[in-house]
Amino acid sequence: MFKLQRMHISKLRIREGNVKMKKTIIVILMLYMVINFIGCNSETPPAEPKEPASKETILLAVAASLKNCIDGELIPMFTEKYPNITVDATYDSSGKLQTQIEEGADVDVFMSAAMKQMDALNEQGLIKEGTMVELLENKIVLILPKDSTTEIASFEDILKAETIAVGDPDSVPAGQYAKESFENLGMWADVEAKASLGTNVTEVLSWVAAGSADAGVVYATDAASNENVKVVTEAPEGSVSKVIYPIGIIDATTKLKAAQNLTEFLQSEEALTIFEKYGFTARRKK
Amino acid sequence: MNWSPMLISLKTASVSIVITFFLGLYAAKLVVGMKSEKIRIFIDGILTLPLVLPPTVVGFFILLILGVKRPVGRFLLEFLSVKIVFSWTATVIAAVIVSFPLMYRSARGALEQVDKNLIMAGRTLGMSERRIFWRVIMPLALPGIASGGVLAFARGLGEFGATAMVAGNIANKTRTLPLAIYAEVAAGNMEDSYGYVAVVVLISFVVLSLMNYFTIRGSKYTDKDVSK
Amino acid sequence: MSLEVNIKKKYKGFSLDVNFQTNGEYLGILGASGSGKSLTLKCIAGVETPDEGKIVLNNRVLYDSQKNINIIPQSRNIGYMFQNYALFPNMTAEENISVGLKLSKKEKKLKTNELLKMFHLEDMGYKYPAQLSGGQQQRVALARIIAYEPDVLLLDEPFSALDSQLKSELHSDFFDMLKLYKGEVLIVTHSREEVYRFSKNLALIENGAITGFGKTKEIFEHPKSLSEAKMIGCKNISPCEVSSDNKILCTDWGIILKSNNIPEDCKYIDIPSGSFEIVNEKGANTIECKLVNVVEEIDKYTIVIENNNGYENNPIYFNINKETWNNTKNKNELILKINDFYLLK
Repeated sequence: MFKLQRMHISKLRIREGNVKMKKTIIVILMLYMVINFIGCNSETPPAEPKEPASKETILLAVAASLKNCIDGELIPMFTEKYPNITVDATYDSSGKLQTQIEEGADVDVFMSAAMKQMDALNEQGLIKEGTMVELLENKIVLILPKDSTTEIASFEDILKAETIAVGDPDSVPAGQYAKESFENLGMWADVEAKASLGTNVTEVLSWVAAGSADAGVVYATDAASNENVKVVTEAPEGSVSKVIYPIGIIDATTKLKAAQNLTEFLQSEEALTIFEKYGFTARRKK
Repeated sequence: MNWSPMLISLKTASVSIVITFFLGLYAAKLVVGMKSEKIRIFIDGILTLPLVLPPTVVGFFILLILGVKRPVGRFLLEFLSVKIVFSWTATVIAAVIVSFPLMYRSARGALEQVDKNLIMAGRTLGMSERRIFWRVIMPLALPGIASGGVLAFARGLGEFGATAMVAGNIANKTRTLPLAIYAEVAAGNMEDSYGYVAVVVLISFVVLSLMNYFTIRGSKYTDKDVSK
Repeated sequence: MSLEVNIKKKYKGFSLDVNFQTNGEYLGILGASGSGKSLTLKCIAGVETPDEGKIVLNNRVLYDSQKNINIIPQSRNIGYMFQNYALFPNMTAEENISVGLKLSKKEKKLKTNELLKMFHLEDMGYKYPAQLSGGQQQRVALARIIAYEPDVLLLDEPFSALDSQLKSELHSDFFDMLKLYKGEVLIVTHSREEVYRFSKNLALIENGAITGFGKTKEIFEHPKSLSEAKMIGCKNISPCEVSSDNKILCTDWGIILKSNNIPEDCKYIDIPSGSFEIVNEKGANTIECKLVNVVEEIDKYTIVIENNNGYENNPIYFNINKETWNNTKNKNELILKINDFYLLK
């Protein structure tokens, strides 16, 4: 009798356990659905009624490094010119944006920080024929502390510096380009011996700005963002692959006219001047 | 695996512990002997500060003094042609400053827990203050002091934030173990960092064992079973 | 040989103000915990400094606030025995004993061995304090301070670190060993037994002030003031009023006693517990009372009684031996004769 009772109780426990598990699964499923529902709603832009050429919204996907100038100055300028067009911008790494576009995100215009992502989308036919333009270039530059008196005028001279600050080529893109440049000049090994490798570009900038490092190599846009460093020169022509920022219209766009307005504006002299202010080199259509 | 970071770290930690040990012990002795309670609390606060500040803030303060644009740093550069920042010496300075509070507090605690009656007894028996310190206080405080030294050594070894700011990350010169590990992980080279991490874990175990040993040894004099 | 102490010190919520002199005989300082007795010793030793005053030992000024003299403890040549002995745990018994000696190495060794023998510690010189018994530690502590022949010995509650059984055993040994020292001794304690055994002279200390001073035996046998009486442990104390015809009214108990010898300005009366006798009928200096409680002690009964007049708040205690009490017929209503009492200021 005793044994039967015990078995009975343990069976009850198992059943109890089963019920508990079922309840948990239902709760999880419900949560999942709720989250997805919310997520879905926030990702898709509200459907606009189609009014002829008035009050349109376009989505611009841009590399994060362009955020300051686009968000801060260019979009407001564009909106002044085209009050009927609202530009929603999303900023992220070029790779993530590429993935999102591939997954069907409702992007109208894409601008990346390298050719790689644009080429990849182009190959998949996701970029409208003939709309891709190599808009900007970011030069690799040599910087010195603002008040430096060291006589360094070129990349080749950099060994005159006691300590050199460079991004870690293994993890920082600007560092990778710096290495490429010095390798082509046949001096990377010597530079590396004196180089303090930064884990991010801000660290490199602050080392040079503080004067701890006598010289450093960063993107032109990085140098422009810190007033305590001065740019001496650009990397020698041909010593480093170009860092190109292309722009293109997504093939699937439903607001072609508005998208074209935006891309044309960004190629205008007005816009290019702003880009240059931030350190970019404009590739003007000659 | 590149052994250079390990060697640099060990070199830095070894030199800095010697400096930290004596600085911390001396500071503790001074503070314990202070008569004014208010001054003592104030000084104690300053000496403990590097312990509670984030290492990058500590680095910031070091730069404030030794940076090439700052008075002391500029003086050293212009008159003695010595640039402290981005030199191996800077790694030692950073390590000393961040590990000092640990040594100081351990030493202070060890000195204070010595029975005050023993010190008074020493005085009534005619022992000079110096003799009391070396023959009574130090032997009894030594386990706590040694344990503090071990802790400070470990802290100096693991120093990262202030070091990056003040000494930079120069291979074979100022790239210490923690900097190397961080760089490998940032670059996604997990395999390369395993070796470094294994060394750090090993050293940590040795450190902990030493600390335990000193703590146990501290109760030697109260052990009834100890016989000569 | 003499020690003159006259000091004042404000200390953690109480003020010390003591003034006494010794005359070469042992002086006991009796007081409750926190009364300032240890502090007084520490001031004499120099490890605490008074706020003002003067301390002179054998005509040598150790401290004089007016002349700005404050000799460091190392140079005062006193021997201080701490309550917990303060033996250096990291030194052997031998090393502890020789710590105060200023002799050559060889002489030190000789003297230390001599002391070890004198204090019955022959084979224990190499042991550490933690390995010694309480009594042995006490002997090492005493040897340590006698070793360099100081001008005075200050003993701070020397028996409080020992349990009571050990205490009584050690009392006589300690006293014998103390005789090995030829100078003056001050012993501070809260135990009446110790002070009675060890010191010819007694100072009573209460709340930082000396409330009684004189020969120990005299104070115990004839306390003259309320504080003396309380300090030596009198239980039956009552305020009293003296009337013209040699009558004393004990106001707490409602008793009237007669005496031919009533000193002036006496305010209190103390009836020792041993001066009651059970009698059969009333007479001079008798009281009628009823039993409140019987407390059985190891060797006697302490009977608690109350005067029949109904004064309830101040019971009277008297001692009686067990046999006598057991033979008493009417235990609840007693007539007691008071044979002895003290009149206090």
